[in-house]
Amino acid sequence: MTRREWWIPYAFLVPALLGLVVFKLVPIGYALKQSVYGSTFGFGPSISFVGLTQYQQLLSDPTLSHALVVTVIFNAIINPLQTALALALALLVNRRVRGISVFRSLYFIPVGISLAVASVVWGILLDPESGLVDSLLRSVGLPGQPFLTSPAQALGSIILIASWIGVPYWMIFFLAGLQDISRTLYESAAIDGASRWQTFWRVTLPLLRRTTTFVLVADTAANFLLFVPVYVLTQGGPTGSTDLLMYEVYRAGFISSDMGRAAALTVVLLLATLVVVACELLVGGRAEAA
Amino acid sequence: MSSTRTVERRDDASGRRASPRSVTTRRRVRAQVETVVIYVLLVVVALVFLFPMLWAVASSFRPLNDVFRYTVPFSGRALIPIPFTVQPYVVVLQSAFTQALVNTLFVGGVTVASGIIANALAGFAFGVFRFRGQRVLFFFVVLTFLVPFEAIVIPLYIMVAAFGWQNTFQALIVPAIANGLVIFLFRQFFAGLPRELLEAARVDGLSWFGVWARIAMPLSTPVIVTAAMMLFLSQWQSFFWPLLVANAPQYQMVQVALTNFQTQYVTVWNQLFAAATITSIVPVVMLLALQRYYVQSVAGTGLKG
Repeated sequence: MTRREWWIPYAFLVPALLGLVVFKLVPIGYALKQSVYGSTFGFGPSISFVGLTQYQQLLSDPTLSHALVVTVIFNAIINPLQTALALALALLVNRRVRGISVFRSLYFIPVGISLAVASVVWGILLDPESGLVDSLLRSVGLPGQPFLTSPAQALGSIILIASWIGVPYWMIFFLAGLQDISRTLYESAAIDGASRWQTFWRVTLPLLRRTTTFVLVADTAANFLLFVPVYVLTQGGPTGSTDLLMYEVYRAGFISSDMGRAAALTVVLLLATLVVVACELLVGGRAEAA
Repeated sequence: MSSTRTVERRDDASGRRASPRSVTTRRRVRAQVETVVIYVLLVVVALVFLFPMLWAVASSFRPLNDVFRYTVPFSGRALIPIPFTVQPYVVVLQSAFTQALVNTLFVGGVTVASGIIANALAGFAFGVFRFRGQRVLFFFVVLTFLVPFEAIVIPLYIMVAAFGWQNTFQALIVPAIANGLVIFLFRQFFAGLPRELLEAARVDGLSWFGVWARIAMPLSTPVIVTAAMMLFLSQWQSFFWPLLVANAPQYQMVQVALTNFQTQYVTVWNQLFAAATITSIVPVVMLLALQRYYVQSVAGTGLKG
């Protein structure tokens, strides 16, 4: 590269970096500013420095604390669940039996189904009257369940729908991680007389530490921000049992047209996500050092 | 279990004397049982994952009255659409839903074309050149693909509304063009190209842009395929953003149009399932066909450590 051509790398970068700055960096900066200034619309000079009032209001808002609780409970269940199931599924399809690639492809199909389609279809399947799931339950003698219509089961139903797509999606990552483990390690474990269970705990799992942490963290981030099934199926109900924080953000910004509140809620949501993710990384890191 | 050998063998802690043949037989039987169990598990799991879509697709080919006919009480006939009809598809494709399909194909196509170019250029710069600020800028690029969309959706919406882009195609396309992950993939690939190849092209008089366009890009087909798939699917599957910025009927994207279908045509189930099937066919076929590339890109980002 000659001295006269110094500008070429930057020229190559301009289109993409411009896009990233305008549509990623600026919104991030604006989000922080917006939540502090409390104006509702516009990029111009803010109406007034409302300061932390927005956050003070939120702290005393029962809807927010309720949504926070629902979101935390939701994530406490779904993240370990999806990670464990994804790992189990990956172990199952990692076996060398004939036709395994067919099954791998079959399990991959839900990944192509979007959350919107999954929500619509499962919404019909879980209907207490005409839904297939309840009909199947009754045909084996079990009582039909209210699923999305009951405050006790609605959140669990959302967990089911999200996991139907999530588990195969994260399975791919575990599969990649498993296939990285050299067969000789398994062979030497077998020679040493290790049982199947011991091999799993002492060989496979430790070697999957980074993958597991990655899946758990990425899955947590995605699930903290979950929105689509709530919007399509429950709108936060029944009786607020599925009122996830991201739905509250949407409600504040686009139903109540209170962008300031929506921005502040986003900050709360991100903080909660960061705290949980930091804990997961700590646990993952300490386990790796052990 | 008898054996004419004089050498005694023990096969387990019970101390039972065993011939070589019975040890092998027992192990083989155990292996066979295991294989059967595995296959049973595989099939059961496959049913759990595929059952919803199987029923939805089957129901999309039925006359309306038959959709729930075999569900309560449940019988196997629920999955077999007899009598068969394509009427639901005909109706759906003649409705406003087709506009959404066209919109999504258009938005996806433009995003892919411009996204490949913009991100590959940036990836080339990071992977081949040395320039001031390179490290910082690349760190920033990586950071952007760690920021989830929902975190910035509110200010992004405000910005786009301020541009006057509500209910336009630009609102859907432009923010999606620059993609940190795609830049990363291209950078990894270009950094791995042999320098002599690029130098030789330069000696032959090609500009750097020519090197990128004539030498580097044609070699990077796997990355282009992966990137195209990622960009296209991100547009095809997107729901939240189109819901906010493009809810008018002429600009609707397919996922939003589907959920609108649900509210408008709440009892025309077979048409709803037909729309859902059409919406899903594209990504499912793409992912199945390009599975290899998808898995490779997961492994290639080195995220599994």
